[in-house]
Amino acid sequence: MESATRFKWKYVLLPLLIVGVAVVLGVWKPYALIQGLQRGGLYALIALPMALILGIVGIINLAHGEFMMLGAYFAYWLSVHTGIDPLVAMIPAFLAFFIIGALTYLVTIKPVLKAPELNQLLLTFGLAMVLTEFANLMWTSQSRKLPLRYVYSSASIGSLTFGTFGFTYLLGAVVVLIALLWFLRYTRTGQAALAVGQNPRGAKLVGIDVNRTYLLIFSLSIAMVAAIGGLFLTGHSIFPGVGAPYTMKSFCLIAMAGVGNLPGILWMGLGLGTAEAFVSSFQGYGGWSDVVFFALLIAVIMAKSYRRHTA
Amino acid sequence: MSKKWQVSGRVLIPLLTMVLVIGAVFLAAADETPIKLGAVNPLGDITGAQMTKAMQLAVDEINAAGGVLGRPLELIVMDSEFNPAKGAAAIEKLVTVDKVDVLIGGMSSGVHMGEIPILKKYQKVTVWAGAASHVCEDALKDCDWYFHLHPWDYLQGESYVKGWADIVDKYPDVKIHKVFVAYEDGAFGTTSYQGTVAAFKDWDVSGESFKSAALGGGDYTAVLQHAKAANPDLFLWIGYGADALPIMEQAKAIGFEPPIFVGSPPGWPVDFGKSPLANDVVLYGMWAPSMKNVNPVSKHFWDAYIAKYNEEPATYFCPLGYTNVYIVAQAIERAGSLDKEALIKALEETKYDSPLGETVTFTPSNAIKHQGFQGQKILQWQNGEQQVIWPFEYSTADLVYPFHFGGE
Repeated sequence: MESATRFKWKYVLLPLLIVGVAVVLGVWKPYALIQGLQRGGLYALIALPMALILGIVGIINLAHGEFMMLGAYFAYWLSVHTGIDPLVAMIPAFLAFFIIGALTYLVTIKPVLKAPELNQLLLTFGLAMVLTEFANLMWTSQSRKLPLRYVYSSASIGSLTFGTFGFTYLLGAVVVLIALLWFLRYTRTGQAALAVGQNPRGAKLVGIDVNRTYLLIFSLSIAMVAAIGGLFLTGHSIFPGVGAPYTMKSFCLIAMAGVGNLPGILWMGLGLGTAEAFVSSFQGYGGWSDVVFFALLIAVIMAKSYRRHTA
Repeated sequence: MSKKWQVSGRVLIPLLTMVLVIGAVFLAAADETPIKLGAVNPLGDITGAQMTKAMQLAVDEINAAGGVLGRPLELIVMDSEFNPAKGAAAIEKLVTVDKVDVLIGGMSSGVHMGEIPILKKYQKVTVWAGAASHVCEDALKDCDWYFHLHPWDYLQGESYVKGWADIVDKYPDVKIHKVFVAYEDGAFGTTSYQGTVAAFKDWDVSGESFKSAALGGGDYTAVLQHAKAANPDLFLWIGYGADALPIMEQAKAIGFEPPIFVGSPPGWPVDFGKSPLANDVVLYGMWAPSMKNVNPVSKHFWDAYIAKYNEEPATYFCPLGYTNVYIVAQAIERAGSLDKEALIKALEETKYDSPLGETVTFTPSNAIKHQGFQGQKILQWQNGEQQVIWPFEYSTADLVYPFHFGGE
């Protein structure tokens, strides 16, 4: 009986609350709602591959944003030299970075899998620095941006005119989330990966090749985030340091959603994006959006901790 | 006694000859000793990298023409990495280890603040190219060995006020009363905004900060919506190159099209001019590539730089670095030696026709005795090229007004 009551709270009232907030925001500050959904979609999209590594391999990849940056440069150069659209360049970026991810895993990650977490953190942090400096040496710090007409496509509802391309990020996040959930739940490899993530020793006992699973998941995650770099490139300037802030935001989203909770990352991303956009919609308060981001992060982590203690 | 003299004479004459020959050889060798110029530039950044290349170009040209005082110039470059501590260490090393004769180059006020205590410690003759903050200037008060090229922030503000006033006078259609400034929320944007408010007392200036893409931002929708609601005659954004195209794209997406759209980043992104949205955007700067069509020094610099490096100068720090070396070289030539007092006096007599258009002379500014450039120029992107709109004496094109996205 008690369990049934908790079930209703979680699955009925919470969505109703979200829808209610969205309706109020949509009427009061429609720009903030649109901007928040687009921004939150981008946050979630970039965070999902990081969550995959953290949930299964158990590594916090602090070079996550830098791989996105390299993927964006890859798509940029492919686009400049061959004329293909960066959205199409996402496919070769995915394939190329799957191999790069595998090499990175074999050369750097695999040797520290059993090392203390601090060593792993230092390693990926060092990797991030190496990748940033590599980009700096190769392409200088000057920012680059492809002029693409479709990124300023817009729509109007009454007097409300807004950009529509940003919804691509939200669409991308939903597609990646569904694809990941399908992969993890309905494919043998995905189920094996889930098992490895939950209990690597047990998985090994039942015959799953843990190391190969780690290699696959790490490579897949790097390939995904590099391909996302191609999408990121469409609406953003790229430069060697562009990825670092997204590593931090991705990690915060995962911390809020909880390790292994992929749908939670999308919801948290949308919540954070909307909260930031809502604050920014008041003139002169844009600088508070970072404060809101971290305030929400702290609030959610504290609430989770409280629930765990009272459960 | 006489025998003694005879012996001494036989020994002395060859000895004296030998001394004279060796002395002459040493003197000749000393004449070939290079005059060392020590520069501290951020080499990882396009501005610092191109400024360094332009400096080397100037050094090579001067050496090819016989050097200075018959001696070759040598450029020793240290990387500041945009880090004040590294900039300070670089100055220390150039002075104590490399024993340079003159310090040149440099950019970024933040880095310069770290370098100033070391500069003051050694008081080596310094002709600094970059750094615009008046805080740096205040820290260098009474340093008669310090010469500065880039206009200080308040000089830039004054030049914009004069420039826009002249433009309004020349173009009757142009009306500027209400201005909205979107500025990045770091020190650069905030001080620039404050400077704009202080400088344009006759304008109704309002503004709002945004988080630059260079610092993890990149969503300008909110600030652009507020700007659109304010309906300004002139919209100015102050940020970095990474903000340039996304701001235009997001403004276009929400239908924000002010009559004058001004961007003020320190450097523009690669190929910004190729975007149709770049057309008619106004910008501030010290130089535009189009000046090669109206200024022979600019044309010579442009051609020589491309011939040597097979790339186009992308920032005004490039001709500024070239100017930096020539000013120092000509002053050493005038001074006739590297004596500090003579060199300072010679630098004070500088009159150099620069590729940036102006003839550089040094005059007192608010705190220092030797300020070179007095302001910036108002430029406009037209068909993928930066054109000079003001000062009218350097003008390469007329102002296109009002602004329309993509000239549509």
